[in-house]
Amino acid sequence: MKYSYYPGCAQHGTAIDYRMSVEAVFRRLGIELEEVKNWNCCGALHVPDRNVRAALSSRTLASAKGLDIATPCNLCYSNLMRANTALEDATLKNMINGKLTNKYDGNTKPKHLLEVIVKDYGLAKLAENVKKPLKIKAVPYYGCLLTRPENKFDSPENPKSLDNLIFTLGAEPVKYYYKTKCCGGPVLITNEDLALSLAKDLLGMAKESGADCMVVTCPMCHLQLDAKQKAVESKYNIKFDMPIIYFTQLIGLAMGMSPKELGLDKHLVPTDKLVARIGR
Amino acid sequence: MKKETILPETRDTAFRDLILKTPVGEKIPTCMQCGICAGSCPVSHEMDYTPRQLVRMVQLGLKHEVLNSNTIWICTTCFSCSVRCPRGIRPTELMETLKPIAIAEGIKNKNSKFDNIFSDVVKKNGRASEFLLISKYSLSEPGMIKQAPFGLSLMSRGKLPLMPDKMEDVRELDAIFKTGEEKQEKKPESGTKENAETKAEAGEKNEGKAADTGGEAEK
Ligand code: SF4
Ligand code: SF4
Repeated sequence: MKYSYYPGCAQHGTAIDYRMSVEAVFRRLGIELEEVKNWNCCGALHVPDRNVRAALSSRTLASAKGLDIATPCNLCYSNLMRANTALEDATLKNMINGKLTNKYDGNTKPKHLLEVIVKDYGLAKLAENVKKPLKIKAVPYYGCLLTRPENKFDSPENPKSLDNLIFTLGAEPVKYYYKTKCCGGPVLITNEDLALSLAKDLLGMAKESGADCMVVTCPMCHLQLDAKQKAVESKYNIKFDMPIIYFTQLIGLAMGMSPKELGLDKHLVPTDKLVARIGR
Repeated sequence: MKKETILPETRDTAFRDLILKTPVGEKIPTCMQCGICAGSCPVSHEMDYTPRQLVRMVQLGLKHEVLNSNTIWICTTCFSCSVRCPRGIRPTELMETLKPIAIAEGIKNKNSKFDNIFSDVVKKNGRASEFLLISKYSLSEPGMIKQAPFGLSLMSRGKLPLMPDKMEDVRELDAIFKTGEEKQEKKPESGTKENAETKAEAGEKNEGKAADTGGEAEK
């Protein structure tokens, strides 16, 4: 299995732990990720003009060399998906192609890494790699942009893929009504109060569910829920102590990899109790 | 909120027509004010106008209120409204369509400032370095100083590299960033120029007038 790989900016910054776990796990599973050369930012949600964002993503999609393009980030994923939809407008497509050295035909298929694991690699095959069933309770948190708006891969209202993955790894996916509720990440810098209140809702519901950790698929969700968790705690005077784990880290743990190799020591919310529970 | 009658002269039909001609605008006339978007929105309680109200205001051409509302900037782009709207309207994309128009009209706030910094960094380096973004934004937002401990905690985990990540070659990006402007220039008559002229007038008349969009129940 081979994919063209679009890491996105966060992998070179705040999501270094995600990057470490992706590299370790995909290598071990034998899924090849070939990084796009000279890739550019997708514009996240902060290049305000959506046509510019479509152009930025088209440039990326054009460099996939006939392979599907895989990405670890919900924001990148949604921008790539939306660019494909936007380019159904022939005028926009021509205009964008007028600016690209490498023209884009509109046919590259973007895939989130979760889709690569759950659909392409397959959970049955993944189960064969599980050395250490996790025996913990985990919140499957999908965030907004993995399933919205171009919901080709899982349901935008009640997605199941991450639930199924958690189950395959020997853990219990808890019932969680905020599976796809916004974490507040996009307004973190400009409206911190609002961002923290959204994170508080998610963390509170996770605590209530009795989960040992929350599992995420996006660097922005991780930043919000892990790195900002302390800020939420002090603002609302609540203790959550809720480890936030990338799904690739969870896979790695179940495959018996070391927490350090998976970047778990880089989190701001300590993960040692969780690791002790898993028993290594 | 005090109800006031919307007078015909406070409505900017050029603005309305401009929006209705965009890809997201096509379905806007079909909005039935059901409020599913507002009910699905995780942040509507912080907005001057809920997504439902905003759609109605666009139908009415209330340019000044629409472009000056915090709604388009509070929106987190979560798409909850858009996947649920029974009419297939995407309020999220309406917000996205309104942002560049608001910026072009000279609207300035924290969000437009951050978006501007973000765009500059990406245009110059091709990639968004979190350190660069935060430090540039902090220079103009003194309140950000209280985020310093947060920044340090990220650094202590190797999560905030000081050397910005860059593309090897950014030559294509200048052209790419011009995509937005051209798309708008291509629009027939009802475009931005004519609009800018009517703006001053309509804007003044609109001053201080609450839009009668029937929002009491929600606010
Ligand atoms: S959900 Fe759609 S039809 Fe209903 S009020 Fe919102 S935009 Fe209008
Ligand atoms: S996309 Fe924006 S307007 Fe729509 S539900 Fe989310 S925050 Fe609200």
